Amino acid sequence: MGGVKDDDRPELQPPILQGLGQAVPQVDPPLALRARVLGSVAGAPTARSVPTRSAPWLLATAASLVLAAGLAIYTSQLRGRVGALESDLRDARARATAAEQRAIDAQQAVAGTRITVAVLTAPDVARIDLAGQAPAAPGAAARAFWSRSRGMVFTASNLPALPPGRVYQLWVVTAQPAPISAGLLTPDAQGSVNETFNTPSDIPQPVALAVTIEPAGGVRSPTGERYLVGTVVGRPA
Amino acid sequence: MWMLLAAVLGSPAALESRQADRASVARIARGDQSAFAELYDRHVRLVYSLALRILQNGADAEDIVQEVFAQVWAQAGRYDASRGAVAAWMLTLTRSRAIDKLRAKRARPEAAADASAAESVVDLAAAQDLDLLSAEQVTRLQRALKELPDAQRTALELAYYEDLTHVEVAARLGEPLGTVKTRIRQAVMKLREALAE
Repeated sequence: MGGVKDDDRPELQPPILQGLGQAVPQVDPPLALRARVLGSVAGAPTARSVPTRSAPWLLATAASLVLAAGLAIYTSQLRGRVGALESDLRDARARATAAEQRAIDAQQAVAGTRITVAVLTAPDVARIDLAGQAPAAPGAAARAFWSRSRGMVFTASNLPALPPGRVYQLWVVTAQPAPISAGLLTPDAQGSVNETFNTPSDIPQPVALAVTIEPAGGVRSPTGERYLVGTVVGRPA
Repeated sequence: MWMLLAAVLGSPAALESRQADRASVARIARGDQSAFAELYDRHVRLVYSLALRILQNGADAEDIVQEVFAQVWAQAGRYDASRGAVAAWMLTLTRSRAIDKLRAKRARPEAAADASAAESVVDLAAAQDLDLLSAEQVTRLQRALKELPDAQRTALELAYYEDLTHVEVAARLGEPLGTVKTRIRQAVMKLREALAE
């Protein structure tokens, strides 16, 4: 059977296309995604360091001239090597993806450090010390630094290992009746947590923080046992 | 043509938002991270929601959000304002990357390697002249989608959210090819009427 690829796709004209993209149910992403995305570009090259428009054009022109000159001579040899090249390309792509991921991880680690320093040195920083709650986690402890302008840094230690299908969830208690979820926490093998969160400007100043255990994926309002609780200690002047 | 103009002109609020986006992109091109954060806060919901609808997986949708915004950061200096609204551009990127990821997950190596296949449904040159639809237009479109016969809506959604060809939609639904083409054409006509009201 011949290899004619079926690319007969329905013609979805632009306004319909645009509309279908917008017409999906609108869902808020997790709070923690903001810090991840903003952190991932901190220090990354911006458009400033990208070559100007003229440079790629010149490179493309030069490349095509060289290609035209060499093409007649090398065509038959190139044909024979296409199969091997395709295989190399797949391998290179896989390696690039892994390298990209390592670079992203490294960027995120640096970004996390930058955000931490920014929060700790913010003029409006408030400190919250959390104590482990009996019977769930009497040996656990945590400290948070909250800056409305720069975000929140949260560190915890000695949190019990999570059973399968469960996660820790961090709650912000304010003057409003319902606690507000800041995000989900997963401790490392030593029971430690080190996270940064954004602090949306429409959340009132926190009075206290709490960590509960919840089903994986988190919940809208706390249902599980409290593991850590603490009230604001140092307030900005 | 009339529909295109209506989509482009929009309401005063939409115009303000377009201008705010363009100002943000100009600042992002100079490395302004607070402008980047503003753009994120304005449009992450749109981007995340479309990615989530296509990939049906929160973690994958989050990856797409990061990729799209990283691309905006990297290409802000090259963004040509005459191409259309920033938000419309970001939605196009979202759909294209999400479809790529969907294909990669289904282990279709020829499709994953060919990034341009994801754009073949959309005439990008035309799409780039577009703005977002207004909230009112989106509501009309959502109502029209709900009122479509199930068979038409299902076929249309497979074509758009999974970027399937007519043949693939027919195979997925176990329907004749001609039937699928007719259903999609009828669905598109009804949506166009809804937008033209």
